[in-house]
Amino acid sequence: MKRVVSLLCLNYAASVYAAGGEGSRPRGVGPEFAKFYKDAVTFSCITNPSVNIPIGRVNDDYCDCPDGSDEPGTSACAHVSPLSPHTPVDQSHARHNISLALPGFYCKNKGHVPTYVPFTSVNDGICDYELCCDGSEEWDHVGGVKCEDRCQQIGKEFRKLDEARQKSLGNAGRKRKELVAEAGRLRKEVEDRLMTLGTEIEGSELKVKQLEGELAEVERREKGKVVRSAVQKVGKMGALVGLAKQRTQELRETLERVRQERDSSRSRLEELESVLSTFKEEYNPNFNDEGGPEPDAAHDRDLNAITQSDKENGIDWEEYEGEEDSDTDVLYAFENYLPVSLRGWVDQKLRDLRVTLIDSGILADTGSSSGESKAVADAQQRLNSARNDLDNSRKSLTEHKEGLDKDFGPDDIFRALKGQCISTDSGEYTYEFCFMDKTTQKPKKGGGHTNMGNFVRVERMTVDEDLPPNGKGLGTCERIAMKHENGQHCWNGPNRATTVILGCAEEGEIWKIMEEEKCVYRMEVGTPAVCEALGQAVPKKADGRDEL
Amino acid sequence: MQRLSISWTAFLLLCLTLCSLLTPAVSVKHENFKTCAQSGFCKRNRAYADTAAAQASTWTSPYALQASSIKFSQGLLTGVVTKKAGDETIRLPLTVSFYESGVARVTIDEEKRQKKDIELRHGSKARKERYNEAEKWAIVGGTTLSSGAATKNGEKKGETRVVYGPAGSFEAVIRHEPFGVEFLREGVVEVVFNGKGLMNVEHWRAKVDKPVVEKKEGETEEEQKARESAVVQEGEDEGTWWEESFGGNTDSKPRGPESIALDISFPGYSHVYGLAEHAGPLSLRETRGESNSEDKTKYSEPYRMYNSDVFEYEMDSPMTLYGSIPFLQAKKKDSTVGVFWLNAAETWVDITKTKSFVKQAVDKVLQNPVSLGVTGSMTTDTHWISESGLLDVFVMLGPTPQDVVEKYSELTGYTQLPQMFSIAYHQCRWNYVTDEDVRDVDRKFDKFTIPYDVIWLDIEYTEGKKYFTWDPMTFPDPLGMQKQLDEHERKLVAIIDPHIKNEGNYPIVEELKSKDLAVHNKDDNIYEGWCWPGSSYWIDCFNPKARDWWVGLFKYDRFKGSAKNTWLWNDMNEPSVFNGPETTMPKDNLHAGGWEHRDVHNLNGLTLINATYDALLSRDKEEASVGGVRPFVLTRSFFAGSQRMGAMWTGDNQASWPHLEASVPMILSMGISGFPFAGADVGGFFGNPSKELLTRWYQAGAFYPFFRGHAHIDTRRREPYLAGEPYTGIITQALRLRYSLLPSWYTAFHEAHTTGAPIVRPNYYVHPPDEKGFGMDDQFYVGSTGLLVKPVVKEGQEGQDIYLADKEKYFDYFDFWTYEGPGTVSVAAPLETIPVLMQGGNVFVRRERPRRSSGLMRWDPYTLVVVIGNSGDAEGTLYVDDGEGFDYQQGAYIHRKFSFKSSTGTLMSEDLAAEGSATSKKAKDYLRSMEKVRVEKIVIVNAPEAWKGKMEVEVGTEYLASKSGLTRKVGMEWHGREEGKAAWAVVRDPAVAIGKGWKIDFTA
Repeated sequence: MKRVVSLLCLNYAASVYAAGGEGSRPRGVGPEFAKFYKDAVTFSCITNPSVNIPIGRVNDDYCDCPDGSDEPGTSACAHVSPLSPHTPVDQSHARHNISLALPGFYCKNKGHVPTYVPFTSVNDGICDYELCCDGSEEWDHVGGVKCEDRCQQIGKEFRKLDEARQKSLGNAGRKRKELVAEAGRLRKEVEDRLMTLGTEIEGSELKVKQLEGELAEVERREKGKVVRSAVQKVGKMGALVGLAKQRTQELRETLERVRQERDSSRSRLEELESVLSTFKEEYNPNFNDEGGPEPDAAHDRDLNAITQSDKENGIDWEEYEGEEDSDTDVLYAFENYLPVSLRGWVDQKLRDLRVTLIDSGILADTGSSSGESKAVADAQQRLNSARNDLDNSRKSLTEHKEGLDKDFGPDDIFRALKGQCISTDSGEYTYEFCFMDKTTQKPKKGGGHTNMGNFVRVERMTVDEDLPPNGKGLGTCERIAMKHENGQHCWNGPNRATTVILGCAEEGEIWKIMEEEKCVYRMEVGTPAVCEALGQAVPKKADGRDEL
Repeated sequence: MQRLSISWTAFLLLCLTLCSLLTPAVSVKHENFKTCAQSGFCKRNRAYADTAAAQASTWTSPYALQASSIKFSQGLLTGVVTKKAGDETIRLPLTVSFYESGVARVTIDEEKRQKKDIELRHGSKARKERYNEAEKWAIVGGTTLSSGAATKNGEKKGETRVVYGPAGSFEAVIRHEPFGVEFLREGVVEVVFNGKGLMNVEHWRAKVDKPVVEKKEGETEEEQKARESAVVQEGEDEGTWWEESFGGNTDSKPRGPESIALDISFPGYSHVYGLAEHAGPLSLRETRGESNSEDKTKYSEPYRMYNSDVFEYEMDSPMTLYGSIPFLQAKKKDSTVGVFWLNAAETWVDITKTKSFVKQAVDKVLQNPVSLGVTGSMTTDTHWISESGLLDVFVMLGPTPQDVVEKYSELTGYTQLPQMFSIAYHQCRWNYVTDEDVRDVDRKFDKFTIPYDVIWLDIEYTEGKKYFTWDPMTFPDPLGMQKQLDEHERKLVAIIDPHIKNEGNYPIVEELKSKDLAVHNKDDNIYEGWCWPGSSYWIDCFNPKARDWWVGLFKYDRFKGSAKNTWLWNDMNEPSVFNGPETTMPKDNLHAGGWEHRDVHNLNGLTLINATYDALLSRDKEEASVGGVRPFVLTRSFFAGSQRMGAMWTGDNQASWPHLEASVPMILSMGISGFPFAGADVGGFFGNPSKELLTRWYQAGAFYPFFRGHAHIDTRRREPYLAGEPYTGIITQALRLRYSLLPSWYTAFHEAHTTGAPIVRPNYYVHPPDEKGFGMDDQFYVGSTGLLVKPVVKEGQEGQDIYLADKEKYFDYFDFWTYEGPGTVSVAAPLETIPVLMQGGNVFVRRERPRRSSGLMRWDPYTLVVVIGNSGDAEGTLYVDDGEGFDYQQGAYIHRKFSFKSSTGTLMSEDLAAEGSATSKKAKDYLRSMEKVRVEKIVIVNAPEAWKGKMEVEVGTEYLASKSGLTRKVGMEWHGREEGKAAWAVVRDPAVAIGKGWKIDFTA
């Protein structure tokens, strides 16, 4: 049943503030409804005033009003709800609104906070102290039940907790302010950096332009010399290409091995380990699965490209082997035949190869054997370097811009928490949540960590939870939630995903972790970051299905 | 397992090894279960039947009752049936018992085995006799021999006639040669044994190695083969006598062939029901169809009963399932008869139907002129085949379905009167993963004001699948969790299976081993197999010592973490063995007393819940203040008699519309088989139901006797509150409807408990003469309430055709729309509506205040619904007790009859309690505690027009009448007919005590 309090995220208990004198209201009537029960002779049903009954029928444990308002102190009208099966008898007075007019049985709870108890709980033989600390909802003592008044004690405990909670909330608010300031500072830093980058890029662009000019000039100057020196190298090219081919092949094999090792050590091992332990512990014939997890094809794509045979990669070594007239530059040029994604990588490798070749005396160092070539190469190198700088700056600019545009929540606050982690123990695991990053499950006994999802976005979601007395919970309202997706794949299930729902707390703290369905997790996390934002929480409207 | 230190290749190898070990279980499909042709004894007996049919004109059954051996006294006939087998004459002792109840029983044993005058092969330690203890487990009453049964004078030569039954209206004609029995009721032959001469008792014989057919000179291989098969043709096919292999497992069969078979005919009967449990229509199909035939009304396989863990079982199939009740009813217009085949071994039943029973054929086969009395145009023949044990058959001659079910229930026991909570709603899932998870679900139900009574824990709550333990990481506080549940009178049901993990430092398995309480293998050593925990042993509940031990394990100080609101679920008790043949134990395994598993297989599940039931009884009896609490146990496997101990469910179904549809006939079949406390997993176990399917399933489930939502571990969560609107609201309405009708459900359970009547009743049961309804299994009545329900089981369906068998008025439960029977009527059934009609002439009772659990409704007032039909009268009953203990056996209950008479215009409440039942202190205390519980409302549907304008009625009570004869007036409202809807009236708060006598006068 929905509590009256549920309208507020922060307040612990439903507070029904006295709206008038105690007077002599019928049992179960709250002060705000007292006015309907004033007439000494007749009672008119609150939302169906055309239905009039003698006042003696109020609280006579028989439901007369279509809206249940004649039985504020009994359970006789508890069935007045869209959730109950209906017959013409329930809707006798035409088809009136079949929702209850009253929020429930009013418990005065003297010494504590007054509240409404759902009618379904009135005189059912159970003392509902959580709501009705004075035990007044069991006034009929059915089955001999006696609910003593515990409001003094419960009220006292509540006030104590409430005080602590208020204090804690005050601190939390202050902490949030600090976080906002920190987030602002970080944002400023990014903005500043963006500005610097802008300047840097302008400078770099100029430099590149200048170096391009230089290179063209050097090339023009050195052209003749290079042609001459090239003659000397005729005949060496075949050997060089052969060696390069061999070396590339070695590299390719090494790469293949590295890939396999990486696969086994990082991904497959963990997955298989969990598969096996699941298998060992939970083997059952109801799993009608063909086998273990499917390999993730995406991250292998580039590597696959490398390890394809050369022809598929667009390199025909024979072409080079037969061509004695090639220039060393073919080494730099051939990268053009590679897939774009590999170009940088191969380029680097070939540069390394070249150095190796020179070092081992197989390839003449053009730098030393030909001053002219060196000049070109140097110019080229300077240009490349400048271009690299420009690329890096541009990339950095994009990243920072994206970082600036990214949703870091209200007040940009999660900027201040990005990368910070909190963890908690639950069962045989430690669970970790890192802001704007990921969630992780770590077995206490040791063994591989399991990625439970990577951060994708900040969302708003409406929750409807009990609020424990210590306030460490979500209550009923709109909350900020962080979605994490595409964690480690679950055997016989989806990729792990976690929704982290944030509630206000003085310290970052994981309150609760639940596996809502197979490999879909929900974390309830307290953090000062969401304390103030709650002020805008949208109270859930009491809809037609509301019992109270 | 060493983590991380093993390379992934090693893991992969290990996985592959495990997979290959367990492959049969992983890939369970058709090929994992035998067809008749793959089960030697079934194949042999079917071949025997084929031979008999082929030689119809000359076929003679080789069994004869020796006239000189016949003795009859005090309702018991004994004699010896002989079987000619070559030069040998096999002696088969016969007893025919005639019981006071009118039930007759034919039992045939084998003398040589009875006297242990046989040799077992392979040095087997198995018992030599045919299994003769099924009775010990299944039969609990109704076996008082009839002193009135007598042989009939003037009988013909070659037959013995015994007159028995009520007023001597039954007669058994025992034909001497060939041996056969006909059962007559009022001179009409209703049941015939061995009429087709298919009786077969495979006698013991030593294994003789046949001469090998050597290849003659110049003979081709084909010629040799032909001669080989000719040899086989001459004799019997011994290929399956001594050893049989299936799925890589070889059955050593130390006793050789020992099957029994018998044909039982029902002349003039067109429909047969029973042989639970199968996923097929209530009215059983013929089983001798061609396997590739277009005719889907006939199966090509016999109905099989060999309790098995069938993974993803298929619809409309005679394949075996988790439990067996070898009880069958035959139906023709104005008559119902039944046979109960008491045999716990693997059993197959072939069913064939023939049109127009020809008189000559009767005379020829039966050689009995009495058969002339046969009427009707359809005859049903059944052929029963069991692998071992006695031939032991009970015959009930009806004539009503209720007569047959009641006699059967008298023999095997009436269904337990369950605790009230257990007929309310159960929330289950494999698995609620932590105690906090359980608490959270519990709170969520309250938050959404959805009633529920029980939350369940599947195997994951244990520490490493070791039963009687709790996982300390995930369930650190089971008692705290149960305390929270108890705050709203809710219960926990925890699973305990019969396989005990074979692991060091586990006291339970150490005791099991050291006390030698487990099932043995064929070499008489402890049997080891695989189940959830991996390597496991199985408790042998056939062993009295094992039962005593089991009983001790459930004491609160042994099963730590269990509480008074902990109840039990016994799953996997077929038993399910992942690496065993057909996912169960080898047939040559040995149980206590030396019985082979083949002899007792179908009883295995019953013995486990029997032990668990005793354990729970014993657990709570120690509480001096309590007279004991009725145990609750759910079982998957069952046999005739299991109804005494608990509830069953239809096992691992799927979240699909066909499975929802199949659940109705399956549950109806359980009802007419004496085990009415039955349900199917609401929502479907495997897979994720659409929201529409889930909603429709809850609407159907609200009318299952056992009502539990359950889901596989790989499915998404689907607790009712998660469905979202409008689904959650509609599901909540269905749940609240169930709760409001609990008084009527409980009354139906009480009726089942005392008469064996089904709780949900098919058309043929309620309207026995109505032939049109014989095949109907998609609609049913709830107890004796007159509520007629036809759940929507098809996607997108918004209307429902309901068949009304009788000339009576029916009214829509929710809007009082009026229908007139007989005939088929169309009822609107949009998603938010359950097609439920109220049959005129009934009174039923409900409690309308929604509460959190059934326990919290205990003191709520009642509403009576009086549904006036064509006669103008209406009648109904109500049974109430404390809903949990045994005090009702000492008279602590309320049992009332409510009757409305149009002639006097009065509604009366009369006492149905046995005279003098309320004299015990417990009875008086109970009645006193109920004094304040009143009737708050009386709804009269189809109220007479004459009441128009009437504002008051007169209430008189026992108390008032005896003191001063005073009456008082209470208000009444009358509402006239409108647009097809019945007139109705409400009596406002008559405030009469539910337990007292009273009268309301509508004419005053």
